[in-house]
Amino acid sequence: MITCPNCNHKNRDGFLFCDNCGYSITDAVAGQATIPTRRVPSDPDDSSAKATWGSARFRQGSSVILHIHEVADPVTVEPAQRIIFGRSDTSSTYLPDVDFSPYGALEKGVSRQHAALEINEDTLMLLDVGSSNGTFLNGQRLLPNQPRVLRDGDEVRLGKLITHIYFK
Amino acid sequence: MTNTLNPYILLGIASSATIDDIHRAYNNLVQRIQPNTNQYSATAQEQLETITQAYNLLVSPTQRRKYDTQSTSTDDGKSDLSFSMRVTPSKRAIIPLPEDQIIYLLADIIASPAARKLEEREAHLNLTLVIDHSKSMEDENRMSKVKAAAQTIITELSSDDVISIVAFNDWSSVIIEATHVQDKMSMRGRVSMIKPKGGTEIYKGLAEGVKQNRKYLKPSMINHIILLTDGRTFGDEEQCLDLARQAVSDGITISAMGLGSDWNDRFLDELASVTGGTSMYVKSVADVPIFLNRQIRSLSNAFAERMQLSVIPESGVNLEMAFQLSPSPQPLTHENGIIRLTSLQPKRPISVLLQFQLPAQLAEGTTSVARLVSTGVIMTRNALKHVAVGELEVEISKNPKQTEGPPASIIDALSKLTLYQIQEKAQLALENGDITKATQQLQFLGTRLIDMGEVELGRQALAEAQHIASTRAFSSEASGKTIKYSTRALIEPGGMKSAITAMFDNHGDKPTNDDNPAET
Repeated sequence: MITCPNCNHKNRDGFLFCDNCGYSITDAVAGQATIPTRRVPSDPDDSSAKATWGSARFRQGSSVILHIHEVADPVTVEPAQRIIFGRSDTSSTYLPDVDFSPYGALEKGVSRQHAALEINEDTLMLLDVGSSNGTFLNGQRLLPNQPRVLRDGDEVRLGKLITHIYFK
Repeated sequence: MTNTLNPYILLGIASSATIDDIHRAYNNLVQRIQPNTNQYSATAQEQLETITQAYNLLVSPTQRRKYDTQSTSTDDGKSDLSFSMRVTPSKRAIIPLPEDQIIYLLADIIASPAARKLEEREAHLNLTLVIDHSKSMEDENRMSKVKAAAQTIITELSSDDVISIVAFNDWSSVIIEATHVQDKMSMRGRVSMIKPKGGTEIYKGLAEGVKQNRKYLKPSMINHIILLTDGRTFGDEEQCLDLARQAVSDGITISAMGLGSDWNDRFLDELASVTGGTSMYVKSVADVPIFLNRQIRSLSNAFAERMQLSVIPESGVNLEMAFQLSPSPQPLTHENGIIRLTSLQPKRPISVLLQFQLPAQLAEGTTSVARLVSTGVIMTRNALKHVAVGELEVEISKNPKQTEGPPASIIDALSKLTLYQIQEKAQLALENGDITKATQQLQFLGTRLIDMGEVELGRQALAEAQHIASTRAFSSEASGKTIKYSTRALIEPGGMKSAITAMFDNHGDKPTNDDNPAET
């Protein structure tokens, strides 16, 4: 049972908001709980691949798939030594490697240069490059310029823009 | 192209799977889906039958070869037209407790990238408008607005579409018999003859509407009925719901639009939900054409129709609540684990939030919580049936390795859905005469809304709480409905930017839009 600090209502475990008054009753930091399901493959060979979810190993020749929340089409990114996530804007000519402008980047608080992906031998690292609204890996805010290992299926939030990252 | 559901997806195996893989996958599934004596047995039986068909097809070398050839050769490149399902749990590790607990699953059904590239939709509408022309439709000029909106729709449909129009009050009359949209001028003329008169008996209108819609009913068409009413029907609600259940099994969807403030919202919600349609509150009659147009546009843009989610919880697990978050927020009925969903748009996923109750004293190990299977018909000329299976595993452990909190997408959805539920409780308490509870729930609602930055709506809820405390009623029926449907509209992702702001505030971190000077 979780007793609501606001109205003393007793909620069953697992509720995130009080059933009686709507008060947030989870103290957990928003984090990862995403498990990719077997996606319907567009090419038949793909279905043989077991879900690699949770693996930190990023094989050579793989690409990175971004599933942006509320956007149907995944974005495929070919890996390079360093890839900048950000948004373009009309007042400068700067263009990030992955431009989130078409996905509401501005209103979701994505910075021009927000985060970076780096290849480190056979792992992929995520780091915040000094964004205004923060980069969150599985709900935890990254300290600027401190790389963290990215795993297949991780939830990455840029400001308010939620995306899931898969390796392929 | 064969119209068999993809057996590989159903069994969760690769197209290169060996006969042993097939046996193993099938046996595992059969063990999991035991049609036992609980409320889901019919659904389990149904899933089991499709799996057994898939198994029988794949273990027969001739049939398998035939399927493989058909699905790769004769589909003129349409095999990429599909949808998939992504399932996200609210927690990845469950600690067994001496009492019941809750877990949420968020299911996103997503059209394949090839869907957006389809330039022209091949599906056409088989549309029936069922229009209330009771005396009260004279108020606020409703009748003439609705007639004008219907005429605009006639103008916009093509001759490949089929339309029928039924008007009803205490009786029903067919204004336009189901036919291809050709003689638009005379159709518009017939609509203009509708006059307001008499009372409201929805069943009569709906029954005639279903009859008209059946005349051109085809799997390759989008068969849809839109009911427009401004009144309460008395005593025939159950008949209407039975009719809707029959209609949906034939492939007809029903949407309902309530005008003014006197109609029965719970009934129209349910009528729409049992068929996978949408229910809407049109506050200002001037908005009728906009709502109707948007509805028709999203129908004719559908990539897949007759979308259904079948949920079989693991033994001891109970599905408590299902709610469609996107594309349009809608409470869902989930009798026996069968849930009808709205049509799938090429660019917007269908998101459904499911709330499950887990039993006390779970044994350690892993659980899938529930097996989720989504089926639908892809709207190409051949009306392809398609299936997507959502599989997941959640760890049950006293000392879980994973202790992360719930994902942002679920927190965001629940922060708003909980408010809608509080609002529903307030309305129910009021109906039951529990004034104290109704007042308290509206106060909670108002406070939370203001917290989230929805100040105007929050104030309205607080004002109504006061009003109810002193007069035992909302200041007007319209105000009660505004609170309900405005709170519901917030659930739509992006419908309430401020909710996310509030979430950030909890982390002591206000989002800003002014940019940082780039450091690198």
